[in-house]
Amino acid sequence: MKLSALLAILILAVAGTAVRAAELKLEAQLVWASNQSTSPNPKHKPVEPEIKKKLESLPLKWSYFYEVKRQEFSVSDASETKVELSGKCQLEVRDLGDNKVEISLCGDGKVVWKGAQALPKKEILVLGGKAPGDTGWLVTIKRIE
Amino acid sequence: MNEELQLKLQAYLDGELPEAEAREVAAWLAQDSGAVGLMTELKNTRAALALHERGVNVPESREFYWSKIRREIERSDAAAHRPAPAPVSPFKWLRRALAPGMGLALVVATLFLITRPGTTAPGLGLTVATADAGTFTYRNFESGATLVWLPYPAENRLAGGGSGGNLQQQ
Repeated sequence: MKLSALLAILILAVAGTAVRAAELKLEAQLVWASNQSTSPNPKHKPVEPEIKKKLESLPLKWSYFYEVKRQEFSVSDASETKVELSGKCQLEVRDLGDNKVEISLCGDGKVVWKGAQALPKKEILVLGGKAPGDTGWLVTIKRIE
Repeated sequence: MNEELQLKLQAYLDGELPEAEAREVAAWLAQDSGAVGLMTELKNTRAALALHERGVNVPESREFYWSKIRREIERSDAAAHRPAPAPVSPFKWLRRALAPGMGLALVVATLFLITRPGTTAPGLGLTVATADAGTFTYRNFESGATLVWLPYPAENRLAGGGSGGNLQQQ
């Protein structure tokens, strides 16, 4: 009886580890896009070169991209992971399996876009829109593990 | 004296004849007073030109100057031997007129794959569940980047309005 209980605990522990290993690790960034070579906000820093290269491959009219906030997070198929990028910008992400994630972009608590995207490593999903003063906001999501 | 002999005499004076031919001309001059008269005339003309001809200096070296002339001759020869252009197709103007439009349509179709709720953007691996009308998706397959552009008024909601709003307040 004791042995079987021990085995059950062991199996559960191994299964738990396997489930955790299957979690996707993602990174989201809120980016401010502009044609100003310096940001008026001293806290802003230019996005890392890898992200910049990806953004430059997209039909965006801006030359400078500033990282406003960056956050790493894990997603699972069990529940949605909420990522707050600004006071009014939030992501809800769920793992759909097969490298696919379901992403909801929320503004002021309302879902403004929801979609499912295959997100293999080295690929990036960018959600964006116009911002005041002929600038733009971008949310980049990439898989890191 | 025919023209060929006159030219040969001039070549002899200029030292351009091979040795054998030069010897023949010298023998001819010893026998023909007409040839001697022409030779004298040529010598006088050359002396007059040498006295009054203005010297011209070219800015390049001699070799480069002549290489330019050679290249120009070669270019002219090549142009002369170029095949005549193919007959113009009556549909050529139509193709020319339509090509930019078709290219533009292709670019627009690639750039603006409108993704409405419940649709799948073919080839993009993207399924859209909720989106405002006017949302479009662009994918750069080479860089592995997908852009979803939202008509969402970020000025008022995401960015928080004003000059930069919440984006800059982080």
